[in-house]
Amino acid sequence: MAERLSFYLERNSPLHRLNPTTKLVVAFTLILVAFLGRGLFLPSLLFLLILLPLSFVGQVGREFLRTTLNLLLPLFAFLFVMQSLFYPGGKTVLFGFWIFAVKLEGVRFAFLTATRVLVMVSSFLLLLLTTHPGVLLLDLTQRGLPASVAYILASTLQIIPQMQAKAATILDAQRSRGLDTSGSLGRRIRALLPLVGPLVFGSLVDVEERAIAIEARGFRSSGPKTSLIEIEDRPLERALRWLCLLALILAVGSWWLWP
Amino acid sequence: MKLIDSIKKDFNTMTLVLIPVAIAINVVIGQIVVLLRLPVYLDSIGTVLVGAICGPWAGALTGTLSNIIWGLLIDPNAFPWFPVALFIGFVSGWCAHFGLFRTWWGVVITGFLVAITAALVSTPIAVYLYGGITASGSSFITAFLLQTGRDLVSAVLSTNFLVEPVDKIATALLAYAIIRGLSRRYLMRFPRADNVMPKKA
Repeated sequence: MAERLSFYLERNSPLHRLNPTTKLVVAFTLILVAFLGRGLFLPSLLFLLILLPLSFVGQVGREFLRTTLNLLLPLFAFLFVMQSLFYPGGKTVLFGFWIFAVKLEGVRFAFLTATRVLVMVSSFLLLLLTTHPGVLLLDLTQRGLPASVAYILASTLQIIPQMQAKAATILDAQRSRGLDTSGSLGRRIRALLPLVGPLVFGSLVDVEERAIAIEARGFRSSGPKTSLIEIEDRPLERALRWLCLLALILAVGSWWLWP
Repeated sequence: MKLIDSIKKDFNTMTLVLIPVAIAINVVIGQIVVLLRLPVYLDSIGTVLVGAICGPWAGALTGTLSNIIWGLLIDPNAFPWFPVALFIGFVSGWCAHFGLFRTWWGVVITGFLVAITAALVSTPIAVYLYGGITASGSSFITAFLLQTGRDLVSAVLSTNFLVEPVDKIATALLAYAIIRGLSRRYLMRFPRADNVMPKKA
């Protein structure tokens, strides 16, 4: 179970100093361009020329690579095997063994899909590595995200580690009272309820108290709220965000501009 | 406007405080299930719970945010699947609105409907983003169906129709079990408590 609250790593880098919305916009632009743009090698270029260097600018290069590989290697292996062998419409056989035949169209499709997924996951990962979730939420709230959504996200990020600790305690307690968590499927299914029951009901009891507490602190009142933290937004970054929109339009338009 | 009022009705303070707990339940039970090596996901129990006692809109929001949180904390691969979770929450709330959460067999029907919706919504996402292959055992079924000559869309659709019902019916029944275990006084604080109360004679 995760020890950290999120992927965020605290470093002093230019990426960390960027406005959170800028990073969000850049991440989305990269993903959309990867999925909507033309070219078999476009997503791989985006990754190698933009994302990878940026991760080193942000001083999170090693974690970036390691986490990306961890998250994606199993998926990619599966993807390549499945699509090379079973892609419908695959005709050009590269080589075969036993009853399986590896087809070129399948490999090409697997490569395109894999690199697109690579851009998607690594863009978000880079965003998460260099942006503190609280700061991101605060910025979005100041730009119009409803306070209730921000509360839900912030509160969830706090509750989950608490609940995981509770779950571990309950797991130990039940095991020490003889609960069998290995063994046959039937045993394991029956183990679910004594683990889940105390956890769920214990957490639900808190809900009413918390609701009363936040109502008493004026949570539902309308009107602007002052924040302790100030988030910077430079004109250069605003320009960068508009540039991203332009890049996206170009990428989509490339389907019509180039014959 | 009727729609705005319907949406607003779902969200009182108890709803707002329940949703983070429901999302946490989704995440933690999802992890326990992996620990116990059970062949299901069970990562939407909280979503269905919120849908039933707070309404379809609250359920939809819970599902969406649950996916986002999962992507933030565990695996960014989860982000594109939020429409599936959204519809799980919405359909649960919708079924509860029609009284399907008052009996256990109504809940089984709800689970089945949720499963069908989840299969329908997840198929285009799987096909478009991943070419139909995700790193799960169900992909073997997809591969087999592809080999028999079906096109990609119907192969993925058929796969999802096999795997989802067991998971979603179990999810709905567990949410129902939780609701039955809560006191009436506690349930009354939620916007749509009458979804789960026995009908007045």
